[in-house]
Amino acid sequence: MSRLSFSSFAWVAGAWILLALSGCDSAYPEVVVVNETDERIMLRELSFNGCLWTGVLAYGESTSPQRCPPGSDRVHFKKLDAAKYCQEQAEAGTIDGKGLCESGALLPGTPSDSGPTENVPRWFSYQTISEHAVSYGDFRRIEVTLTDMEQDFATPGPYGH
Amino acid sequence: MRNNALLPVIVVGLAVGRWGLAQEPVPTALPSPASSSSTSPASSSLAPIQVRVDGERKQRADRTADTVRVSGDRLRTSPKATLLEALAQDAPDMYVPSRGAGIHGVGSGATGGIHLRGLGGSPSSQVVVIEDGTPDYQGLFGHPIPDAYAPFLLDEAVIVRGGDSVLYGTNAMGGAILLRSRWRQQEGWELENDSAVGSYNTLRQSAAVLGKEGRFGLSGGVLALRTDGHRVGAGGSNLIGQFSVRTRLGAGWEVTLREKAMHLTGADPGPVTHPNDNHFFDVWRERASVQASWHSDAVSLRAQPFFNVGRHELYDGFRSVDTTSGAILESEMRLHPAARLLVGSAVDRADASAENRVTGERMPVRAQQTASWYDQLTVEPVKGLQLIGGTREVVSASYGFVFLYKGGFRWSLGNGWYVRGRASRNFRQPTLSELYLPFPTANPNLKPERSLGTDAGLGYSSRHLELSGAWYRNDVDNLIKYFGVWPAAEVVNIDHTTVVGLEAQVVARDLGPLTVRAGGSWQDVGRYTKQNPSARGVFGVELRHPMGGWTLRSALEGEWVHGLYMSNYSRDRMDDVLVLNLAVRARREQPDRDLVVEPYVALRNLLDSRYAYVKDYTMPGFNALAGLRLVL
Repeated sequence: MSRLSFSSFAWVAGAWILLALSGCDSAYPEVVVVNETDERIMLRELSFNGCLWTGVLAYGESTSPQRCPPGSDRVHFKKLDAAKYCQEQAEAGTIDGKGLCESGALLPGTPSDSGPTENVPRWFSYQTISEHAVSYGDFRRIEVTLTDMEQDFATPGPYGH
Repeated sequence: MRNNALLPVIVVGLAVGRWGLAQEPVPTALPSPASSSSTSPASSSLAPIQVRVDGERKQRADRTADTVRVSGDRLRTSPKATLLEALAQDAPDMYVPSRGAGIHGVGSGATGGIHLRGLGGSPSSQVVVIEDGTPDYQGLFGHPIPDAYAPFLLDEAVIVRGGDSVLYGTNAMGGAILLRSRWRQQEGWELENDSAVGSYNTLRQSAAVLGKEGRFGLSGGVLALRTDGHRVGAGGSNLIGQFSVRTRLGAGWEVTLREKAMHLTGADPGPVTHPNDNHFFDVWRERASVQASWHSDAVSLRAQPFFNVGRHELYDGFRSVDTTSGAILESEMRLHPAARLLVGSAVDRADASAENRVTGERMPVRAQQTASWYDQLTVEPVKGLQLIGGTREVVSASYGFVFLYKGGFRWSLGNGWYVRGRASRNFRQPTLSELYLPFPTANPNLKPERSLGTDAGLGYSSRHLELSGAWYRNDVDNLIKYFGVWPAAEVVNIDHTTVVGLEAQVVARDLGPLTVRAGGSWQDVGRYTKQNPSARGVFGVELRHPMGGWTLRSALEGEWVHGLYMSNYSRDRMDDVLVLNLAVRARREQPDRDLVVEPYVALRNLLDSRYAYVKDYTMPGFNALAGLRLVL
């Protein structure tokens, strides 16, 4: 049996190196998330399997493509129902029923409860019900819809100290 | 069917028996560079006291302890991303979690905690790291920083399993990691350069210079590592520089100055399901020590003051400046050809200031200081039997008087076989963070942890084969544990807990071009299962084969972790970890040009497994690092 010469070995090793280096993070799947919920609903801090989009996503908008590690995960996000918030503010009398509030059956004017009001919009944590798997080389468009979301009660505690 | 099942056992038994009768024991004073274990048979008599290895005296070590010795060269050629992970590959009862490819980090989300025989972990203050003779831990958090260690200037690392607070003081409950830097042995100079590039835009560059000119010796180097990480927030950079100079003054005197500085940056990426946005850390640390030693045929003396200071800044406004300082004065003397006595004293002080720059809150931290005296007597009453005993008396301004002790034996049975056993009383004082920092909570009334570590083992060593096995038990009182999460968290002393385990290793060396290693451990850690796996296996096959003027070296290594939980009481079970890594190196020595060329590649996670040591801190898939090492 003939021995493998070193030059042959070097070529094989070099090819392995190139293959290895080019086959990892550059081949990560690309993921975009689209807000297909409702025109009154905004999403922010969307995340998927280690990817994080920090901006706010209005209805119909999509995130920019981001390379995420391969694997499977749900889309996690924070949700604000602008109409609901607006109605609460109208009920509390902190606004007088303009903008989005005027388009629905809102109660303008007088506060119905003199208790504490929430002036800061509260974004609730949600996640998609369905899990999405992505693999090397994929380009995946994930839609977030009203029928495919549930509240996310996961509270990742700090690991370490 | 039954006979067939027993056949491998019979074959192995016959092979071991044959080797046991045929092979001469490996001389203890001449460990093979490739050796991963110091559990070689005892020497026929106590070694002369003046035997020296790189300026450090190995006689100080307790040879009845269960130790693993790993050469710096083996650690430098490991496919593992960090030094502690590479070290754990040779000790199945040592577990070091990771969260990425090269950066462990500090603070929340950090990994790299050292778990040894059921103790240690997060924070890893129950395992002490001794670097060139001095303890290395943060003054505030009381544990070593895993990213601070790199193998580029390492001569060897020794894992002392089972704890030894008599020799190493506080924190040495689960064990101790001894790191020794290397020196050039021959006259002249040597320059090493190692450049590597890899996945996730990883760049690693190290340069080292070693020199010896007459009485003077110099060893120094710089390591720079930066990576984007395998996901958002997992990147970071480590910049480590160190140098040591020593001079022999004559009449047995020697003075060594050591200096090490580092700048570590990175972030906690958070769980993959809920990633963090720029939870950064920024750490500067600096440590220095001066060692004056003197030796004669019968007596040696070492005086070594040390100082360690660091500044840590976190994304949430936290900033701390901590110091650890102290001094060690130690002497070892040969009382009789079969008896040696080691006596020493040590003082240490840990202090810190901590504040939140955002809120302006300053944490009331009070310094801790201790003084201690210790002794260790080693005798060999009959040929092949070593007995050891020692005590340490600790006086603490906070905890009063603490008495520690140990005793052990090692008996060479002949033909390479030996038995050993040891018991040691160890302790750990609470860290300043456990006492005073509300992250997530503090308890100024904590008491020191105390443990009684016992172990017994049997081993065999020959030129081609090493076998070892051990049973161990740690009985811990006042174990300090965190429960719950903020704001309902608490940190308290646990009255009593027990860890029991078994560990075994086999190394079949130089079987033609191959060396095969395998080891496994099992332990019952009781209720405190958080990041304390019940079983772990390690295995590896190494190949060394000449090809023309080159020497091909490759190492295929694997790790299996079982019974891993994210919470105590066996809650939040995680999937088993099974990962394979491969390193391939080609080395060409050109003596006429005083040059060594060594291209290499490390292929990690060959199976492209989706695995995690820490829940939702998923490890990288298949990734690679390729580099070139030059020695001039």
